[in-house]
Amino acid sequence: MMMRGQREVAILGAAMTPVRKDLERPITDTFTRVILQALSEAGIGPTEVEGLYVTPPGFARPWNFMFACDLAAHLGVPTRGLVMVECGGSSSLAALKAAIQDLLTGRVRVAVAAALDQRAMPAGDDLFKNLPTYVARQIGLYGPYLGPYGIGAPIPLYALSSQRYMHEYQVSAEAVAEAAVRLRRNAEPNPLAEYRDPITVEQVLASPILSPPIHLLECSPFASGAAAVVLCRKDAAQGRAQPPVFITGFGEYHHPSHFLDDRASITTFEATVKAGAEAFADAGRKPSEVDVAEVYGVFAATELMLYEDLGFFSKGQAARAVAEGRTAKEGQVWMNPSGGRLSLGHPAAATPMMELCEIVWQLSGHFPKERGIESRATPYEVGLVHSEHGMVNGGFVLILEQ
Amino acid sequence: MADLKSMLDQGTQDGLQIYGHQCSRKFYELLKERRFASTRCRGCGHLTFPPRDFCPACFQPDVEWVDLPRQGRLYAFTQQERSVRFGKPDVIGIVELPGGIRLLTRIDGKFETLRIGQSVQMEFLELTPGLVLHQFRPV
Repeated sequence: MMMRGQREVAILGAAMTPVRKDLERPITDTFTRVILQALSEAGIGPTEVEGLYVTPPGFARPWNFMFACDLAAHLGVPTRGLVMVECGGSSSLAALKAAIQDLLTGRVRVAVAAALDQRAMPAGDDLFKNLPTYVARQIGLYGPYLGPYGIGAPIPLYALSSQRYMHEYQVSAEAVAEAAVRLRRNAEPNPLAEYRDPITVEQVLASPILSPPIHLLECSPFASGAAAVVLCRKDAAQGRAQPPVFITGFGEYHHPSHFLDDRASITTFEATVKAGAEAFADAGRKPSEVDVAEVYGVFAATELMLYEDLGFFSKGQAARAVAEGRTAKEGQVWMNPSGGRLSLGHPAAATPMMELCEIVWQLSGHFPKERGIESRATPYEVGLVHSEHGMVNGGFVLILEQ
Repeated sequence: MADLKSMLDQGTQDGLQIYGHQCSRKFYELLKERRFASTRCRGCGHLTFPPRDFCPACFQPDVEWVDLPRQGRLYAFTQQERSVRFGKPDVIGIVELPGGIRLLTRIDGKFETLRIGQSVQMEFLELTPGLVLHQFRPV
C-alpha cells in the first residue's frame, strides 16, 4: 500500500514523441526535448525540477555507463534525486516508482520521469560479423535454457502462450484477430501512432504468420520513441497550467521466473493478477469503476489475457467482451485508446510511460496538439496503466484519478 | 571466415559460459554424457527445473542430481518463421514431464502434424561434440 487512495502525488504534464521506426534526433536530444515538452505542458520551469528518474535508452543496443548523469548534465538541472532503472518492459514504471517515493517522503517536490527506446537494429553486415557475440547475448537475455533452443525474440514464447490460451478457453483465431482490429480503430485518429490505416479480421488472418498462431498484424512492431511526465506533491499542484491527475493506487509484483516458468500458468499471468489486485486495493477502487485503461498487450491474444487478469472480465471472456464493444470508447471500459502496443507501436522501454501519457491526457481532458484531440471537459474519472516484463513474469499497475 | 553454423555454435557455447551459472554448465555437461537431469532437494524432495545448487522451495543447500523422465506430453508448440539460430522449419515447444515440470525444447516433428497433449520422447541433439541439446519427437 503506497498511495492509499489519497491524492498525494499529482501528474501535471505529459508528453511523448510520435512512435516511428527510428528517432528523429540523437538519443540525448530526444530525451531532453520530450522532458522540456512535458514541463511546458505542465507550465513548470526546468529550475523547479528536483528529481530525474529515467530508463536506459532502449534494449536494442548497448548504452554507455552513467547515462543518467550525462542526460542530467545535458539538461542542466541540479537534482536531489537521480535514478536510472532497468527492469525490461517495466523499466519506466520502476523509474516512476522511485519518483513517487521521493515525492511521498518530501525530499523532492517536483520530479520528472522519462523513458526512451531506440529500436533501430544493427546493419546486416555488422550482425554477421558479430554473430557469435549476438547469439551469446541472446543467451544472456533469455537464459541458458531458452537461448540455445533458438529463442532470440519473445515472439515464439508468446506464441506458445497464445496457442495454449486459445486451446484452454476455446478462443477462435477470428476472435483474437478482432482484438487487433479494435486497437487499430483506436489508433486511426491518433497522429502519434505508428499504424493508423483501418484493418479487417480477414486482413489480420491473411497477414504473414510470424510464429503460429501469431500473425504479423497481431504483433507489436519494433519502434522507437520517448515519453515524459512531470510529477509533484499535492501542495505544489495547485494553480498550474492544467488540472492535475493523481496517482491513487500502485501495485507491483514479480514472479520468480524469467520468460518461462517450470510450473506457472502461461494463460493466467500471476504478476498481472497480483499487481492489479494490489493497485485496486491501494486505491480503494474496483475494475468496474475504471473508465479508461492502457495495458501492455504486445500480442493480440496476450491483450485479451491481460484484460481478464486485471479483473475486467472473467477468464476466457475477453474476446466476447471485445466483440460486443465493451472495450470500445462507448463501452464498459475503453481499452488502449491510444491504439495500444499493436497500433500505437511499441518502443518497449518507453511504452508504459506512453500509456501513462495517454491516461493522463484522457483524465485531465487536456491534450497536447500532437495528439489531435481538442482539449475539453473530460468524461472520465478513473484510469489504469499496466506494464509487464519478461513474458509477463512481472508488472506494475497504476490507478489514476482526477 | 568461419561458416555460419560454427559461428552459431560458438556463440551458443560462449553464451552458456559467459551468462551461465554452475548448474547450467553442469546441465549441459551431463547432456554431453547423454544424461538429461536436474536437481532434487534431499530434504523436502522438491524436483526443480532449471537445476539449482540449493532448493528453491525450502532454500536448503542439500540437493542431488537426478535423471528426468524422458517421456512427456506436448503442452504447446509453435514454429519460428525466422530464426537466427536454426533454419526453417524451426519447431519449438513446451513439454510437460510426469511430475509437472514443463520445459522449452526443440521438437523434431512437422508443425502441421503436432497436437497438444500428444506423447513425446526425449532425444539428444548433438550440434558439435562440445554442444548437445535436448529435443523431443512424437512417439
